[in-house]
Amino acid sequence: MRKAFAEALLQAAEKDPRVIFLTGDLGFGTFDAFQARFGPRYVNVGVAEAQLVCAAAGLALEGWRPIIYSIASFATGRPFEQIRISLGYAGVPVVVIGAGGGYTYASSGVTHHAGEDLGLMSLIPGMTVVAPGDPNEVAQLLPQLLKLSGPSYLRVGKYGEPAYQADDAVVLGRARLLREGDRADFAVVSTGQIASVVLDAMELLKPDGIAPTVMQFHTVQPLDTAALDALADKVHTIIVVEEHLPVGGLAAGISTWRAARSDGPRIVRLGPPHALVLGNPTVPEMRKRLGFDAAAIAAMCRTIGRPAARGGILSTANARLTSDPT
Amino acid sequence: MAYDGREGHLSSALSCTDLLVALYNGWLNVSPDDPKSANRDRFYFSKGHACTALYATLADAGFMPKQTLASYGKTDSPLPNHSCRHALPILENSAGSLGHGLGLATGALYGLRLDNNPSRAVVLMSDGECNEGSVWEAAMFAAAQKLDRLLAIVDNNGLQAVGRSDVLMGHTSLEEKFRAFGWSARTINGNNMTEICDALAAVPFAPGRPCAIIAKTVGGSGVKFMEDQVLWHYRTPSEEEMKRALAELGESPLHKELTHA
Repeated sequence: MRKAFAEALLQAAEKDPRVIFLTGDLGFGTFDAFQARFGPRYVNVGVAEAQLVCAAAGLALEGWRPIIYSIASFATGRPFEQIRISLGYAGVPVVVIGAGGGYTYASSGVTHHAGEDLGLMSLIPGMTVVAPGDPNEVAQLLPQLLKLSGPSYLRVGKYGEPAYQADDAVVLGRARLLREGDRADFAVVSTGQIASVVLDAMELLKPDGIAPTVMQFHTVQPLDTAALDALADKVHTIIVVEEHLPVGGLAAGISTWRAARSDGPRIVRLGPPHALVLGNPTVPEMRKRLGFDAAAIAAMCRTIGRPAARGGILSTANARLTSDPT
Repeated sequence: MAYDGREGHLSSALSCTDLLVALYNGWLNVSPDDPKSANRDRFYFSKGHACTALYATLADAGFMPKQTLASYGKTDSPLPNHSCRHALPILENSAGSLGHGLGLATGALYGLRLDNNPSRAVVLMSDGECNEGSVWEAAMFAAAQKLDRLLAIVDNNGLQAVGRSDVLMGHTSLEEKFRAFGWSARTINGNNMTEICDALAAVPFAPGRPCAIIAKTVGGSGVKFMEDQVLWHYRTPSEEEMKRALAELGESPLHKELTHA
């Protein structure tokens, strides 16, 4: 995903001479080609995230299209004030890149976890927030973010995430259909790189003959409520899988959408609980431990897919809202 | 304005008024006839709470009708009690949260230099603002990028919201701090017009270095009962206090002058 970002960045800068890239002293080796090609349009501001954001805001006020880069936990939380005021209040078009969003750096410990990045960025009025699922979505979304008149946040993972195939185009602000459901009246939706794990779960379900609709909400803010309304006509349950805290992420957004309706599907969430992730697990270990790896997603689909699960939707909805393994 | 708008910050506004008057009377390359000219100097007023001084200076320099000052602090006014670029688009920045202006200026200058645009950038900020770490992140960047068209003026009135800046900064020198960050810096009496104009005329102080002027000022300058009083950071004047202050200054409000004319 990061390679896809570096390539998309090169292309964007080639196409638009106002694109300028600023890093908070991260991305060793990743942007060598950019630096060689564009010289002063590559700026390392140092380990100074507040300055990273304010300098980008100043550039944007002078008609530049800054893209700023740091590790997701440092790109969002540390300069939240600067993003809120110098980007959000000013309404300037700066693209904030959070590398290693979510729990990409699970094994590096809590300082490197960014389980609140989508929530923090979504809190800011006028901010567009996206979490692509694979390298192709990164490549497709970056140019679309550069056309916005206001600020945006793009969460990218690391290197080597699997690419997936889907016919539906990658359109900013629109949920993307990854798999059409087959005689299933529930859906699995996701945001960010967990999408490929959801697709792994679908492979596990093939012997069971269970094939729910699978949608990727790469755009978290603004949420594609039209897609949700259309989905609500077809399904009784939406399973939301997210690598984000339960507050402020995709499940929270979908729950808000659901709460505004008089009726609609039950929402089931799989993802990390609102708790610290200690123990420095690897990403697969963490997903397994917290109940949102492919096996856990498949197991939930089997539970939801069974006809017996369709009764008592409202009474069990709350119990299903978290994936806390306890 | 502070009386009509029921908003204080007079101490912070009066301390920097001389600096604003000097900047807007010949030093800044800005014109009311073309306020968004590409080659204008960029002026970032970073101590947004003191914006009454900015508004009065802008009106005096012809950037807005003086009558507009009467709307200060009123709902939906172009002149809210912390300067807002949405309300008053001739501004370069909105302010009210400290520690943003210097960073904005460094980014803007970096971009202007890439465009071969010779514009300068000036930031007027407060000494309390220099408590913010983001100021020093920006100072480091400005020196590293050799932004010698950058001028930071620190209104060193020594007063903060509830304390004295000298105590809160451990009795250390702002001039030395900027020098240590690779800037050229000098300290002046910021309420003395000759000293201000001399310092501005000497900018840039050294090639390849950003400039800082540490302007030693008096909070509430010009009004004896407000001078150097922490109380007047927030206090809104009563009618009697307003009259006393105006009598001492020998002035009447710009917007009132016009109403009665």
